Amino acid sequence: MSDLNRRDVLKLGAIGAAGAVAGLGFPAVIRAQAKEVVMLGIWPFTGAFSDVGPILDRGMKMALEERGMKILGRPIKYITRDSATQAGASTRRVEEAVDGEGAKFVIGPWSSGVALAVSEVAKRKKVLHYFSGGTEDISGARCHRYSFQWAASPYTAAKTVVDTFMKANPRAKRWHLLVADYAFGWSVEKYIKEVGKTHGLEFVGADRHPLGEREFSNYVTKAAGNKPDVVAMINFGLDAVTAAREIFNFGLTPKLPLIMSWSSGVEELVQLTPEIRENIWVGSNFYYTADTPVAKEFVKSYQAKFGGPPGYAPSAAYGMTRMLLHGFDRAKSVEVQDVVKGLEGIEVNDLVGRMRVDAKTHQTLRPFFFMRCKPKSAMKNPMDFADIIATGDTPLPAQYAACKDIGSF
Amino acid sequence: MLYALMGLGLSLITGVLNIPNFAHGALFAVGAYFLFSAIHAVGNFWLALVLAPVGVALLGLVIEYAGIRPLYAAGHDYQLLFTFGLSLILGEGIIVVWGPIGFSQLPPSILRGGLDLGFIFYPKYRLFVMVMAGLLVLATWLFLEKTRYGAIMRAGIENKEMVSLLGIDVHRLFTAAFALGAYLAGIAGALTAPIRGLSPSMGVDMLGIAFVVVALGGLGNLLGAIAAGLIIGVAQAVVALYWTEASVAVIFAVMAAILLVRPQGLFGIR
Amino acid sequence: MSRTWLAVLAAVVVLPMAVRHAIATEIWIFAIFGLGLNLLLGYTGLLSFGQSTFFGAAAYVAGYLLKHSAINVFLALAIGIAVGAVSAALVGYLCVQRSGLYFIMLTFALNQMFYFIAYQWTTVTGGEDGMPGIGRPALLAVDFRNPLAYYVFVAALFLLSLWIMKRIVESPLGKILQAIRENDVRAEAVGYDVPRFKLLAFVIGGAFSGLAGVLYAMLFGIVPLEAIGFVFSGNVVFATLIGGSGSLYGPIIGSFVFIWLSESVSVVWERWPLLLGVAFVIVVLFFRGGCVEAWARFWSWRERRRAPAGIAP
Repeated sequence: MSDLNRRDVLKLGAIGAAGAVAGLGFPAVIRAQAKEVVMLGIWPFTGAFSDVGPILDRGMKMALEERGMKILGRPIKYITRDSATQAGASTRRVEEAVDGEGAKFVIGPWSSGVALAVSEVAKRKKVLHYFSGGTEDISGARCHRYSFQWAASPYTAAKTVVDTFMKANPRAKRWHLLVADYAFGWSVEKYIKEVGKTHGLEFVGADRHPLGEREFSNYVTKAAGNKPDVVAMINFGLDAVTAAREIFNFGLTPKLPLIMSWSSGVEELVQLTPEIRENIWVGSNFYYTADTPVAKEFVKSYQAKFGGPPGYAPSAAYGMTRMLLHGFDRAKSVEVQDVVKGLEGIEVNDLVGRMRVDAKTHQTLRPFFFMRCKPKSAMKNPMDFADIIATGDTPLPAQYAACKDIGSF
Repeated sequence: MLYALMGLGLSLITGVLNIPNFAHGALFAVGAYFLFSAIHAVGNFWLALVLAPVGVALLGLVIEYAGIRPLYAAGHDYQLLFTFGLSLILGEGIIVVWGPIGFSQLPPSILRGGLDLGFIFYPKYRLFVMVMAGLLVLATWLFLEKTRYGAIMRAGIENKEMVSLLGIDVHRLFTAAFALGAYLAGIAGALTAPIRGLSPSMGVDMLGIAFVVVALGGLGNLLGAIAAGLIIGVAQAVVALYWTEASVAVIFAVMAAILLVRPQGLFGIR
Repeated sequence: MSRTWLAVLAAVVVLPMAVRHAIATEIWIFAIFGLGLNLLLGYTGLLSFGQSTFFGAAAYVAGYLLKHSAINVFLALAIGIAVGAVSAALVGYLCVQRSGLYFIMLTFALNQMFYFIAYQWTTVTGGEDGMPGIGRPALLAVDFRNPLAYYVFVAALFLLSLWIMKRIVESPLGKILQAIRENDVRAEAVGYDVPRFKLLAFVIGGAFSGLAGVLYAMLFGIVPLEAIGFVFSGNVVFATLIGGSGSLYGPIIGSFVFIWLSESVSVVWERWPLLLGVAFVIVVLFFRGGCVEAWARFWSWRERRRAPAGIAP
C-alpha cells in the first residue's frame, strides 16, 4: 500500500464522491403533488423480523385498496420503508420519507422498541403515527398528540385472560407466572396479579427471563417444583414458542393448562405441533375466526388472495389503516392535525368489534380475544388451531393511566 | 454437554487451522435444519440423526477446500471477514430455503415424556442428549488420543512445520480437521433441534457461547474445551435457579472472572 | 496543504449537496469510528472485533447525561471520549496479553458481555427499546437541531480527528506501533514494552470510537441497542477492510461504500444480508487490500495496457 501515491488517493476521493452522488442521492426532493395524501408503512423487511414485513405490507395495502387508493376524493400514495428492526435505521428512513416524499401518515413498525423511536420522529416532524404492539408507553408514559396505539391495553388483556380462564377452571387457583423481563412484561404481570386478587388466586411463583432466552429447562423445573394448577406466560414470539415447547418436553402440558397471555396467535401457534398445543390457552389481539362482519370479509378476501388465514400481523396493519381512514372521514380533512382530532373520541364498529379511541391517551379501546387450542383430532385443517372462547374490553382504570397529559400539537 | 460439543469442534478448528471460525454457529443451525429435512425425507429420526451431521461435514469439506484454503496465507482479518460473510450467507440461506418462521421437531416417540428421578422430573430426550453428547465427546477424545489420525491432528495443533516435514499433507489434515469440527457442530445442532426447535437465529445464539468455551478452555486445548463447556453449562443452570435474570450474562461474567485470574484460560498453555 | 487534504475537503463540501444531511453526517461519524479501529487494525495489527463496546458505552453514558442534566455539547463529547478511552483501557487490559485468534475472540466475547449488560439493564439503557430522547444542545447560539449546522459540526470534528490521527501515525508512537505490527518479538527485543504500546493504541482507538458514539447518539436522538452489538463491530471492521486497512484514508472510503451498500442494496432485495455476505466473500477472495488497492491495481493495469507491447504480462 505504501506505493500508493497521493494522486491516486485524490482520484479515489473524486470517484468515491461521484459514486456517492449516483448511488446515495435520493431523487432530488420529490415534492408530493399538492393533492396527494402520502402514507408510509415502516415495516421490517430485513433484520430480526424480516418474515413479518411483507405480510404487514399486505394488510395495509388491502385496507387502502378497499378504498380504491383514495380518501376524501384525493389519491393516496402508499410508500414503504424498511425498519430493519433497528431504531437508528428506522429513525433515519422515516425522516427521509417525511422530508423527501412528503409522507404525513405513518403506520408501523413491528417491534415496540423501534416504535418508540418512530414515535419520537412523529412528534418532532408533526406527522400522525399509528402502532400496534407490546408497549404501554405509546399511550402511556410517552404519549403525545401524534401517536396512537391499536393493540389492547395490557390491563384489558390481563382482565380478559384471568376472568375467562377462571370461569372455565374455577378450581385452578395456584398460578405460576413466567414473565419476559422488560417493562411490558412487568405491567401485564402487575395487572394479572391485580385481577387475580378478585378471584382469590395464589401466585406460587413468578420468574422473569431475559428477552431472547433460549434455554428454559431451569425455569420449567422451577415451575414444576412449585406444583401450580396452571402456568401463565407473559412473553412473545420466539421466547414464547421456545418456552411452550420446553414446558411440553418436561411433561407439564398437557396435564397442566398453559396460558400464553399476550400472543400473536397464528404466527406463534404455527411453530408448535398439535401435540404441544394441547391444553394451551391463548390471549391475542386478533384471531381469524373473529365474529365481526369486517373480520369475516377481510379473512375471506385474504384467504382468496394468499391461500391461508391472516395472522395477527396483517390484521393489525389492516385494522390500523382502517382506523386511520375512519379518522379522515370523521375529520373531513386531510390535514394531520384535523385527522388527529378526527381520531380522538371516534367510535366505530370495525375489525375486532366496537372500537373507540380514547382522546386522553390515544389508546384504542377494543376487545381482546381469548382462545383455547384444539386437540389434533378436532382440527379441521392444519391451520385450525383454536376456538375463540371469549372476548373482553374492560379499559385500563384511570388510576393506572401513565399518560397524564397528552399535550398539544 | 452440548456446549462442550460445540466448544470441542470450534477448538479443533481454531487450534489446527488457526482461523477464527465465525461460521461455527451457522454450521450448528444448518445441522438442525438438515435433521428436520432428513426426517421428512427418510421418515426415521435415527437415520436422519446419522445423515444430518454427515451432510454438515461435507459442507465443511467444500467450504474449507474452496474458501478457506486460499486464505491461510492471508491475515486473520480476512479469514474473519470470510467466515463472517459465510455465516451471513448460511443464515440467510436457511431463510431462503426453509423460510423465516421457525419449526418444532418432536423427539422420536420412544424418547417422549419424562422420567421421575424422585427429586426432579426430567424429559427422557434431554437425558438421551446428555448421554449421547457425552459419548460423542468421549469418542472424539479417544479418536484424537488413540488413533494415528488423531495423533497427527494433535501434532498439527502443536507444530505444523514438523508435521509437514514428516511428509504429511498439511492441507489434507486441515480439511479433515475442519470437516470434523463441522461434524461436531452439525450433530450438536441436530441433537438440539427437538429441545429448542428450529429458527434461523439459533446459530448466532450459540456462537457467542462457543467462543467463550474455547477462550476459557485455552485455544486448541481440547480437554480444556470439554471442561469449560461443562463449567459454563453448570454455572448457567445453578445461577438460573437462584437469579434467573442473569443466566445469560453469567456466561460472560464467569469468563471475565477466570481470565482475570488466569489470562491464558483455564487450561491454556500459550 | 496537500492534494489529499483538498480531496477530503472537497468531499466534505460536496457530500451534503449530494445526499441527505443525516446520511452525510452518518458517513463522517462512521469514518471517525473507522479511523479509531484502523489504528489498531491497520497500524498495530490488532484485529479488534469488539469496537462497538466503546462506541456504545460512550453513547449510553453521554446520552444519559444529555437527557437527564443540561450539559453542553463539548462536555458531552469530552465525557464520551473519556468513556470510550476508559472502557477500551479495561477491555484492552484483558486482551493485549493475548495475540492472534485469542485476541479476536476475547474482544468479541467481552463485546457480548457489554451487550448483555445493556440488554438487561433496562432501567437505564431501555434495553431493546433503546435510549431515546437525546437532544442536541445549542452552542454559542448555533442551533444544532438544524441538520446542516450539525453536519458542519460533525464534518469539522471529522477533519480534526483525521488531522490528529495523521499526526499520531506519523509520530514516533505511530512508527513503534507499525514496528509491533511487523514483528512484535523484534520490537520487544529492541526494548519497547509491547503490551503497553498495544494498550495505548487501544485507548486511543477507544477514544475515537467514543467520540463517534456520542455524535451518533446526538444525530439520531436515540442510542439503539444495536449500537453496542457485535454486528456493529463487524460492520466497522468490514468498512475498514473494504476501504483498505493499510492506508490512513481507507476507513473513510470504506464508510462511504458501506453506508451506500446498506442504504441502497436493502431496497433491492429483502434478503440483502445474503448479498452482503457474498460481498464479504468476494472482497476476501479477490480484492484483498480493499478499494485503495483495487484502485491502485486498476491504474497500474491501465498504465501497463498503455505501455508498448511486449512488456504486458
